Amino acid sequence: MKVLVTAKRVVDPDVKVKLDGSGNLDLSNVEYKLNPFDEYGVEEAVKLKEAGKADEVIVVSVGTSDSQKEIRTALAMGADRGILVEVDEDEDLDPLTIAKLINGVVQREEPQLILLGKLAVDAENNQVGQMLGALTGFGQGTFAYRLDIEDGYAIVGREVDGGTADVKVALPAIVTADLRLNEPRYASLPGIMKAKKKPLDVLTPDDLDVEVDAQVRVVGYELPPERAAGVIVADVDELIEKLRNEAKVIG
Amino acid sequence: MPPDPMALGLNVLSRVAASPTAERFGLREPIENVVHGGTRIGFAAIQRAARSFKPLRKLTSPERSEPRAGAPLFDLTPDDEQELFRETVRRFAADRLTPNARAADDAAACPDQVRAGFEELGLALAVLPEALGGACEQRSAVTGTLILEELGRGDVGMAVTLAGSMSVAQLIVDCGTAEQQARYAAPFAEEDAPRAAIAVNEGRMLFDPFVLKTRARPKPDGFVLYGEKSLVAAGADCDFYVVAAELLGVGPSLFIVESGTEGVEVMPQPAIGLRAAQTAAVRFDGVQLPSEALLGGEIGAVDYADFVARMRIANAALATGCALAVVEYVVDYCNERYAFGEPISHRQAVAFLAADMAIESEGLQLVNWRAASRADAGRSFDKQAWMAATLAAEKGMYVGTSGVQLLGGHGFVKEHPVELWYRNLRALGAAPAGLYV
Repeated sequence: MKVLVTAKRVVDPDVKVKLDGSGNLDLSNVEYKLNPFDEYGVEEAVKLKEAGKADEVIVVSVGTSDSQKEIRTALAMGADRGILVEVDEDEDLDPLTIAKLINGVVQREEPQLILLGKLAVDAENNQVGQMLGALTGFGQGTFAYRLDIEDGYAIVGREVDGGTADVKVALPAIVTADLRLNEPRYASLPGIMKAKKKPLDVLTPDDLDVEVDAQVRVVGYELPPERAAGVIVADVDELIEKLRNEAKVIG
Repeated sequence: MPPDPMALGLNVLSRVAASPTAERFGLREPIENVVHGGTRIGFAAIQRAARSFKPLRKLTSPERSEPRAGAPLFDLTPDDEQELFRETVRRFAADRLTPNARAADDAAACPDQVRAGFEELGLALAVLPEALGGACEQRSAVTGTLILEELGRGDVGMAVTLAGSMSVAQLIVDCGTAEQQARYAAPFAEEDAPRAAIAVNEGRMLFDPFVLKTRARPKPDGFVLYGEKSLVAAGADCDFYVVAAELLGVGPSLFIVESGTEGVEVMPQPAIGLRAAQTAAVRFDGVQLPSEALLGGEIGAVDYADFVARMRIANAALATGCALAVVEYVVDYCNERYAFGEPISHRQAVAFLAADMAIESEGLQLVNWRAASRADAGRSFDKQAWMAATLAAEKGMYVGTSGVQLLGGHGFVKEHPVELWYRNLRALGAAPAGLYV
């Protein structure tokens, strides 16, 4: 079984991103990382390979040539080869465009299982996996906290509001990883050295016959308004009074 | 009593100055000149300002000079592999070293689960070439420096224990004969890897690694080793040592000494810092060594000055990591700690000291990177390594003690890590750990 897994380059989630004066992100001093949710996906793919259920793990990333580093990270964790769909830095990418580009790779590689992070921690769109499902026509199991592969099916334990739900999806299938799926390993130092020798192909949107024409564009950023300090109410009566007359949430 | 000549002279001078003679000799003239000249220059300036400017060329857009093309003089960007190494080791240090640092210092030992975690990281395999069971194709002092910085950021004591054996492996890969590599370096790639330490320090004032009292006397079938090594980091529990000794008639040389050899005595020597590394004194009392014990096999095969410089870089890298940890901690603390109704970082005495600590730490880092990158480029680097060692000793201690100072009473108690960092930085400055890049 061939597994395709995504690896998006995102701003380190531990960094507090600042805005410059004109409503753009100030990315001059930030570090980048492999999207943590994609990391769960990579770990799961490598585990499937170690368990003998997958023969090959292919990592795909859509981004500038800098994204090669995130692909190398996944290769160092144990993936076999990488594909970068390279786009220009100033190119607008919306989730649908990214889904189309990944679909282009899916058509080339014909994997049986596609693992994605449920979302990327930068834009938090949570759309690419589902859109890829529509584009490919494959079944999908989103927000996976558990994944088993049996007899041509993926059994996906999903985290849903108020509990969990298991779905059984025929392969080829799309699975998006949630944070309880596994505990990603460190890329070992020899793994990093070996990753350098693993193949990494660079493709352009043209190679995949995909036109990059984003329908959603970011027009600006602003910080959420600062929260005013709270008040401590003396008793329930005062609380009710405030809810009724100040907040006007009860009649 | 004859008149005092000095008093007489002074008397004459003051009379001249007070008399109208000064005027008569024209001494006042230059003063008037200055005044007059000054006025003229003033008028000229006003005239110049009145000049009007017209465009001399037609430009449709502003013209700027291009930045100079080609390789920059200064590029400190780690390559992807180095960046990944650094990220991985940073994560290991944050997950395993930082949370265990206090316990390891109290127990004066590196916990077994930390050792196990470090083995999973596979640093040994990253040091050894494939023929010795590893994965290394190219060695790099810069990469080694980046790794040691991150380990030092986590905890210096455990970092020395963990990286000490790797340093020995690296040294044998660099300098050992095929036989020495197969015997002493290859086991690092196997389960139950050996523990080893580099022993250079000797217990006396202003110790210089080029002037050794530990001596090796040649004999027909080998050497006899006499002397005592002090504050050998990770030295209390070792399978073998690499010992620096004066080979009589030759100069400083390195010897591989198995700890079970007769005449080798080890005594724990707990010190102010590096407690988790179990510093020890090691005595050699007429230890009989075979001729194969000489690292490199032949007299002069090892460049001892190169070895010392690489040790200095390694030690400075640990100090850098620890100093950066202090700065990070202190900045957070001073921004969160309120006194007089505002964060203490609003006080200049606090903010300026924190800024100086950051300057010194990053300055040390840059000098050390330069040394390491010159080593990788095959250029001379002993001067830069020495400068890094000096900065590590002086500024490391400055950063450590300033960290304690900025935390006030909290700097003294073990609730916060700064006193531990201070002790470790102090120890690194006084007696360099036997690490090697």
